[in-house]
Amino acid sequence: MPEQDTSRRPPGVCIPWEEKRKEMPAIRGDEQLVERVWKDIDGLAYMYIWQVLLSF
Amino acid sequence: MSAATETLYAQRLKRYVTAMRNGKPDRVPIRPFVAELTAKYAGYTIQEVTQDYQKAFAAARKCAADFDWDAVVGNMVYGWAGLVQAIGLRYYASPGVELPPDTPFQYLEPPEDEAWMRPDEYDALAEDPTGYLLSVWLPRVSADVSPLGQPSSLRNNLSFLKGGMAMLEYFQGFGVQADRLRSESGTVSAISGILKAPLDILADKLRGYKGLCADLFRQPQKVLAACEALAPHLLEVAAGGADPQKNVPIGLWMHRGCVPFLSPPQFEKFYWPTLRWIVEGLWARGHQTLFYAEGDWTANLKYFAELPERAIVFHVDRSDIFAAHRTLGEKFCLSGGVPNDLLAFGTPQDVRACCKKIIDGVARQGGYIMDASAIMQDDTNVENLRAMTDFTREYGVY
Repeated sequence: MPEQDTSRRPPGVCIPWEEKRKEMPAIRGDEQLVERVWKDIDGLAYMYIWQVLLSF
Repeated sequence: MSAATETLYAQRLKRYVTAMRNGKPDRVPIRPFVAELTAKYAGYTIQEVTQDYQKAFAAARKCAADFDWDAVVGNMVYGWAGLVQAIGLRYYASPGVELPPDTPFQYLEPPEDEAWMRPDEYDALAEDPTGYLLSVWLPRVSADVSPLGQPSSLRNNLSFLKGGMAMLEYFQGFGVQADRLRSESGTVSAISGILKAPLDILADKLRGYKGLCADLFRQPQKVLAACEALAPHLLEVAAGGADPQKNVPIGLWMHRGCVPFLSPPQFEKFYWPTLRWIVEGLWARGHQTLFYAEGDWTANLKYFAELPERAIVFHVDRSDIFAAHRTLGEKFCLSGGVPNDLLAFGTPQDVRACCKKIIDGVARQGGYIMDASAIMQDDTNVENLRAMTDFTREYGVY
């Protein structure tokens, strides 16, 4: 049974924040804010592909 | 919303939830899963409700109001053809396009040697399910999405743009629909969230049923590994769409895990372990799962009986409802059991007799919800549906 997800792309994730962060210059303001919004929108893309599979 | 409608909604919600928790409400809840029947009743073609989801929503609201049901699915003609066409999905035949306008939509399984997932791709799927779906599966199932490494195109870009925007609009529409059902007729939205068993995903959308059947013998460990890789994602998606109030269940659409599609030993080995893990994970988060068990799952009831008490609502299609009650009734609510062919071709008297037999046999201690065996399409006779509704309202009082 799945106990620990060791895949590169865990549930809810398309492009991991860690991968995106490497592409960005120094964040001069609130990095947690940037991370949270990145993950929220990335989750929408995740939901898209899994809902295509499940619902349509 | 009027105070009277809000009171009616509260009564219905309490009735529905009490039954689902295997309790005894004031009377048997009525929760019909009506699909293309709503089109017939509301005066639309099947094409109209499949192509234009606002008409599907309107038809569902009209049925809910006129029949005065306790709960209904916001739109049971769920596969919106407009979205399917925007993405360019190949596996769908739509009413009014590939099909006559009054024929329900059809899923098309590809030839075995052209399955959307090839037999040597299990490792790729298990390694990175999301990446596989985006990079390999979607370009195959969509006529517009470009495969990786191939030049992109305007149609590729538009498939994602239109698909994403349309999906967002559609799913937000369900929220509005739930509010309108509540405010206009005091009707509860019956389910929230979607789930399928990992093995059904492999059969329905990836390998095809024939391909999957061969894989069960030729590469069973790969099949198991794929199911285990899919399971956390299916749990995530189901939980993501679940009712935040934890009142109504997640809909689990059970397709080909029962006899004759899988033998009980195959079910035990391939279908059940990961599905059980998901369902128990959802229950640990407070969410019930509606086992919409299409077909005859009588041989599998003993497995479902292992689940935690109240974790599921078990819907009866062709299963023996009295066997289901004996095996599962102590722990779980049941729903359904009124045959669709009876609702289509029987008399109202026959329907009432059937409802009486079911209520007398499985509902006397509560824990039962009245519904047809399977999703009601356009062959359902409206007078028979009315007979089922009216009889249950009169006779199903505790």
